Amino acid sequence: MEWLTVPREWLTSAGEIAKFCGKILGQVYSLKVFRFFGETLRQSGILIVSSTIVIWGLVFIIGLQCGTEGAYFSRSVGAPSQAGVFAAWCDLRELVPYAFGYMMAAKVGTGIVAELGSMRISDEIDALEVMGIDSVLFLCATRLLASWLVLPFVYLAAIGAGFFASYLAVVQQVGDVSSGGYFLVFWMFQNPPDLVYSLIKGMVMATVVVLVGCYYGYNASGGPVGVGTATAKSMVLNIVMVHLIGMLGTQVFWGANPRAPIGG
Amino acid sequence: MSEDKMQADDATRVASVVDDRDDEFKWHTGKQLPTGVQDAIEFVDVHKAFGRNKILRGLNMGIPEDKISMILGPSGTGKSVCIKHMVGLLYPDQGDIIVHGKSVPMMHDDELFDMRKKFGVLFQDGALFGSMNLLDNVAFPLRQHTDKGEEEVMEIVNRRLAEVGLTNAGDKMPNELSGGMRKRAGFARALVLDPDIVLFDEPDSGLDPVRTALLCELIQEIHEENGGAYVVITHDIMSARRVAEHISVLWKGRIVESGPAEQLFNSDNAFVRQFLAGDSQGPLGME
Repeated sequence: MEWLTVPREWLTSAGEIAKFCGKILGQVYSLKVFRFFGETLRQSGILIVSSTIVIWGLVFIIGLQCGTEGAYFSRSVGAPSQAGVFAAWCDLRELVPYAFGYMMAAKVGTGIVAELGSMRISDEIDALEVMGIDSVLFLCATRLLASWLVLPFVYLAAIGAGFFASYLAVVQQVGDVSSGGYFLVFWMFQNPPDLVYSLIKGMVMATVVVLVGCYYGYNASGGPVGVGTATAKSMVLNIVMVHLIGMLGTQVFWGANPRAPIGG
Repeated sequence: MSEDKMQADDATRVASVVDDRDDEFKWHTGKQLPTGVQDAIEFVDVHKAFGRNKILRGLNMGIPEDKISMILGPSGTGKSVCIKHMVGLLYPDQGDIIVHGKSVPMMHDDELFDMRKKFGVLFQDGALFGSMNLLDNVAFPLRQHTDKGEEEVMEIVNRRLAEVGLTNAGDKMPNELSGGMRKRAGFARALVLDPDIVLFDEPDSGLDPVRTALLCELIQEIHEENGGAYVVITHDIMSARRVAEHISVLWKGRIVESGPAEQLFNSDNAFVRQFLAGDSQGPLGME
């Protein structure tokens, strides 16, 4: 049946990606990756230097938007002092994870595909293999571990950037509420478990983006055009996955219980 | 195994690969002329296809120990695929590849990674790591596989770089080097662990005739110094005349003939004669 060809190809592809990602996760879980801890630290350094400012910058802008929208919306319903509710939820639960996921996909994910893809087509990965080095371990597992070492801190700092931007927009720019009044409501509508849930959302997104990037880069073929195609494919899959993880995270963590001091 | 016995084996190992039913293999006598030494690498009836494209079609070939062997053949005939099979980067659909008596396709991952330490490979464009300078590229295998101190590593690296004429280029990045320099640096990296077998994938591609001649001389000098089985893949006849001690002519995924270089250059086989003379007249056309 011809109409089954495309879904069958998708299924095959999903199976291949899952198998490859499982291998990388296994290499990190079994601690084999520590054989190349130097490379892990190098990758951590690259992440910090090349991606941190961009992620913080994007999240800061999103924080400004959350603050502005929150301030005018709460003014329109006659409760400007409640602007902190909107900012707290918008920043912590939704837009910081999404902005983080987008920037991970656009900057880190595509970077990994391009780097590993060009290593593949210039025989560098084959060269590693013939030197007796497990190339998946050296190139992919080290990148995953590096992201786990660095990104929680980058993410937490990004939340700080988003919060700061919302404060600037609500209190300093729109100015319908005092600093004390804003923070009273802002902190009332979030607590440490929310921060942990948000962090989990962000880290799952980061993990998926790195794994997808490694898969498409490592398995790139067809010369420079093939690397370009692989980069585009990884971006599409990563954006879809970021939204799926965002939606599932909100459902799981806040779907049944909004964790808000509303009503009884 | 005694040398007499090996010679007798070699003499009787005139493969009967000719498939009378198939005219395209009429020049493939599969003759493997005796070399008098044991084979470091053997291909036994190896078949490999990529989709519908059959690359190796019953390849039987031996690479003798301690000689510079060349695998010659027209473009697209499966020479690079051979190299990838030797080091387990590709697996055959059928048949076996034996390195120092052990079957490569049967090896587990750990065994395979260990076996690969016997090999040094010079890829077409050197395959240097773009994120490292030349010193780090050449030092990389030593740092990963030995317990040598940094001072000893640097001493070995500098010696190898000097051998290939790159003494002062250690701090350069690969993208700052010419094609010939990248090849020489790749050669230095391939040799740094003193491998038993060194594979060269078209070392002459993209080089001018003078630099090709110099690289061939370098291969010869280093082989004289270090020994081991060197396998050079090329379709450049001049290079073959300069350095080959053993030649295997590959066409359409099978060996046409193989044996000591001087015997192959005097072969009666019309295809071998045409190819080794670089003649336009003969069985090999543009198809």
